[in-house]
Amino acid sequence: MWNRRKRSQSDQSDEVIFPLKIDELKNLLVETFVNSSSLNFTKYKINNKNVAVFFIDYQVEGAKLGPFLEPLLEFDSDKEFTYQTLLNGLPLSTGSTSNTLKDIQKKLISGEAFIYIEKEKQAISYPLTIKETRSPGKAETESLVLGPKIAFTESILKNMNIIRWQINSTDLVFEEFTVGKQAPREVRIAYMKSVANEDDVNTIRQRIKELDVDQIEGTIVLKQYLEDSQTNLFPQFDETELPDRFAYNVTRGKIGVLVDGSPTSFIAPATLFSFLESTEDLYMRWQAGSFLRILRFLAMFFSILVTPTYVAAATYQYAIIPSQLLVSIGQSRAAVPFPPIFEALLLEFLLELLREAGARLPTKVGQTMGIVGGIVIGQAAVEAGLTSNILIIVVAMSALSSFTTPSYLFGTTIRLIRFPLIILAGFLGLAGIVFGVSFLLIHLLRLTSLGRPYLVPIYPLRLADFNKVFFRTPFSYESKRAKSYRPKDLIRFNKKDAKQKRDIDE
Amino acid sequence: MDINVKVKPNLQIRAFYLFFIIAGIQLGVGIIGAPKFIFVEAERDSWLAILIGFLFMCVVVGVMFFILNQYENADYFGIHVDLFGKWIGKFLGTLLIIYLGASFLSILMTYIQVIQIFLYHALPNWIITSLIMILVLYTVFGGIRVVVGVTFIFFIITLSLLTVLYDPLLRINMYNYLPMFQASFPELLRGAKATAYTFAGFEILMIIYPFVSNKRNAKLPVYLGLTFTTFLFILITMLSIGYFSAKGLKNIDWALLILVKSASFTFLERLDYIVVIVWLMVIIPNLVLLMWAMAYGMKRLYKIQQRKTHYLFTGIILIAVNYFQYGHQITKLTDFIAKTGFWIVYIYPLLLLPIVLVRKKLKSSGRSKPS
Repeated sequence: MWNRRKRSQSDQSDEVIFPLKIDELKNLLVETFVNSSSLNFTKYKINNKNVAVFFIDYQVEGAKLGPFLEPLLEFDSDKEFTYQTLLNGLPLSTGSTSNTLKDIQKKLISGEAFIYIEKEKQAISYPLTIKETRSPGKAETESLVLGPKIAFTESILKNMNIIRWQINSTDLVFEEFTVGKQAPREVRIAYMKSVANEDDVNTIRQRIKELDVDQIEGTIVLKQYLEDSQTNLFPQFDETELPDRFAYNVTRGKIGVLVDGSPTSFIAPATLFSFLESTEDLYMRWQAGSFLRILRFLAMFFSILVTPTYVAAATYQYAIIPSQLLVSIGQSRAAVPFPPIFEALLLEFLLELLREAGARLPTKVGQTMGIVGGIVIGQAAVEAGLTSNILIIVVAMSALSSFTTPSYLFGTTIRLIRFPLIILAGFLGLAGIVFGVSFLLIHLLRLTSLGRPYLVPIYPLRLADFNKVFFRTPFSYESKRAKSYRPKDLIRFNKKDAKQKRDIDE
Repeated sequence: MDINVKVKPNLQIRAFYLFFIIAGIQLGVGIIGAPKFIFVEAERDSWLAILIGFLFMCVVVGVMFFILNQYENADYFGIHVDLFGKWIGKFLGTLLIIYLGASFLSILMTYIQVIQIFLYHALPNWIITSLIMILVLYTVFGGIRVVVGVTFIFFIITLSLLTVLYDPLLRINMYNYLPMFQASFPELLRGAKATAYTFAGFEILMIIYPFVSNKRNAKLPVYLGLTFTTFLFILITMLSIGYFSAKGLKNIDWALLILVKSASFTFLERLDYIVVIVWLMVIIPNLVLLMWAMAYGMKRLYKIQQRKTHYLFTGIILIAVNYFQYGHQITKLTDFIAKTGFWIVYIYPLLLLPIVLVRKKLKSSGRSKPS
């Protein structure tokens, strides 16, 4: 029965309901509107006509109500009093009219205040929306030493404002979409019209338009809906909460996506290496920037490979360890009753527990947790004969390396990859590691992001882009944008001018 | 069946990658054991024998390019059907596919043998095979672009293995090369023939050629690839001769793996273990290219889905590897492949050449008559 009533309601709601008497309107709204308890419905008598003003009180900003009501109540009695004259007369812009129940309800919940003059054909409404947001704060998940500290907030308007000031150009486009059938949300894609690749923009446009979901929970969720392969372990778009990183990528020809109510954005297309880039590399001198980037790159391999290699070498191929080192490994393992694979899995599990506990607990307690976990448990585990000293060093190194990844999502992926590799190493030794790494490589080769290859400057090989991905050169050598993303406009500035040299004593 | 192939633009590859395809498929298990076979024939002048092999190979590739250029966009399968008609053409194509499959098996078996002798003595054939087949299947299901990508990236990664050769290079005894120029011409030719198994594989050119997007630039990378393989081959053979004595080398089966045994770092020893295992990344390009070529050939000849051929062939391989339990069986297989390979890879294109020329003449005269 409830179903039938709902259906009849929705049928009714599309019809034109006006003209009505004020009381009839009130009854209609109270009957059909599910939020009627918070509906503020006031009657006035102006120029001998009944007028109703109604809105939802918590959605409307109180301070804005004054300039809205005052001119209405003091409306010139000489003028004809209809909705058209009112629309012209009120000193507020962005007024609109509506005449169906559905329309009115939709506008009410998004914070518009309505005026209805008895027996008129249209109701007028003005957006007096109040939107509770926090003001932009410091970045929490991606921290920078140099560079702007501001981070995105939950309000898409504020975010767009921040980006506009980062890229103050008429070329920047914010295209608007609405996603979600049940609870729609505003989604914006940002790109530079003269730079971004048209195909990429079309692809993402189409993917957003074709998305058929009841609602999305935020940027990261939308990102997962739009990715090339949802079953995959690797993130295929790059997420960030830093406006400067967003702006940097957009000006280089990528496409940024913002979602209302979500303090992160994502950037498409991405490659494996874009997750290891940080805008800080740009703020450093190029030598330091290159060093940090290569360091992060090595750290990724290190983090994936070091524990499995320990397991493989200690279980099967101990001949590859030089004898002196082998003696100390043997001594520290002498008290441990487990095979290396069990030992390694135990310690890695402990470390993951610490990390997860640290992330869930409030900041102050979390710090204590880290110290307790790191020092006390590690020391106790060795003394109890559960693990060897050397393994603690190995696991700690691999954990440290995995923290260097600028992208938290990608860091999590690296954390996950370690476990199958440890198990493979435990069963097959070095052959298991090589098998696992080969599998990963093939997997990465098969991946695409927005239809573009995931390993792009390596395969397909584009040597010209290496200085934007693996290391950095002085800016005078970076006169072109990365060719890998096929931007419309490749040239950033004139290379000749940048390299022009003055003679001595000129 | 169409003689010429229409390849979609998103499946095309740049000619640049032909270098890695040719070098990647030539460098495989052959090079591990080849120094011995050549040394047995040509003694200290092995490098000359390899050079003769290289020159002959260049002639064959030249002929291949000539044949390919007579057609718009054809491969071996299309050319066969065009020259010999439907039945014989398809039969020849099938023979080629069987040869590719057999060389797949021989590569796989040789590598399994190496792994079992060096590292895992008791690991059964089928376990190693299934692990390798997982990688191969995962690659070929990605299509030609992933196959080429795997060839390219694995090639680059495994190049770093060459650094390990610094150690034998420092320990060479120069007197082992003397006296030079002692081998007679027939001995050199026999030595050159012994390179056939190692150098084989470039026949893939006749199958992958239609996929190349800029065919004008295709020649240079192919010849460079051949040159690179030859250079590496000569390097390893000469290192083996200088490092082992003449007597010693004749008794060493896998010279390359013994060469790297002596290198060591302060944090790493017994690099031969690592080389043997990472050699998996050297043979994967071999295997995926052969597997892709087979399945693609089956699709061209009989319109069988590539996916089905992959599954079927994997099944056959998984059963076949269990038959090989002793070294002499594998040697027999490899010898057989080396012999047939010599005819199929090196001689056959030369035989095909006059037929193509005659047909071209007939066609042009046939065309000129009505006009």
